[in-house]
Amino acid sequence: MSDLAASRMGMRWLIVTLAAGALLIAVVAAGLVYMGSFDVAADKPHSQPVFWLMDTVRERSVAVRAAGIAVPGDLADAKRIASGAAQYDEMCSLCHLAPGMKRTEISRGLYPRAPELRRKSELTPAEQFWVVKHGLKMTGMPAWGVTHDDELLWDVVAFLRKLPDLTAEQYQTLVKSAPKSHDEMMHEMMMDDGHGHDDQPKQ
Amino acid sequence: MVRWIFSNLVFGTLALASFPASFAVAHEDHHMECNETGMNAMHADIQAMDDGEAKTTALKEMQIAEDMMAKKDMKACATHMHNAMEATEK
Repeated sequence: MSDLAASRMGMRWLIVTLAAGALLIAVVAAGLVYMGSFDVAADKPHSQPVFWLMDTVRERSVAVRAAGIAVPGDLADAKRIASGAAQYDEMCSLCHLAPGMKRTEISRGLYPRAPELRRKSELTPAEQFWVVKHGLKMTGMPAWGVTHDDELLWDVVAFLRKLPDLTAEQYQTLVKSAPKSHDEMMHEMMMDDGHGHDDQPKQ
Repeated sequence: MVRWIFSNLVFGTLALASFPASFAVAHEDHHMECNETGMNAMHADIQAMDDGEAKTTALKEMQIAEDMMAKKDMKACATHMHNAMEATEK
């Protein structure tokens, strides 16, 4: 047999072996799925490698998608922060808690745990905006962008930047100082654009 | 018949009246119990922590709690789970 023929034969065997291996993996995976081998119970944590994988997938997915988002220059604006505080108190504190707040039943039962946002976050403002707007699959984090326009969501981000510095008293004061309640803000948003944000640039 | 209706009314009222009280008691204290559910919940809390001294302490306390549970020393297990919980809340 010539070298060329032997090489072709070797290549053919390699392809057949790889295809058979892939098929075997697919059959085993399908079998495991069908037998319900993966426990989806929220009261049983992932093994460390699975947790790491899910965490890294989430982190990278957010970082890549948030990369092109333009951050407003007025995130330190007191009015924005106060408006964000009212929204945070209404929409987020049940799961993400707040300064001086004890853990809630929902925060204890969610898996993965909703991060306590009074602790410093490693996310950039653009990443925080993306997460708040689009939510996160398989975490319980809703996509607030479905019901809130971008301006309101940036208010929340403005508040999130301030949150780690707040005491329980300062948090309460800030929530009370909000120019409007959450419901009033929502009503105003509806009146402004008839709940369409299609005319706004997508971020 | 009247007695049957009366007794059902009394027991029904008592049951309804005691429900909010028992519900409140059940939710008053969130301390971790030394059982599989409590252990899993603590592990989920620890997974969510950033690496650092607090996480190391929590992991160490959980390891001791698990050892105590294996030795059927539930009191010591609960103590170490409590220590782990305190570390997660730092």
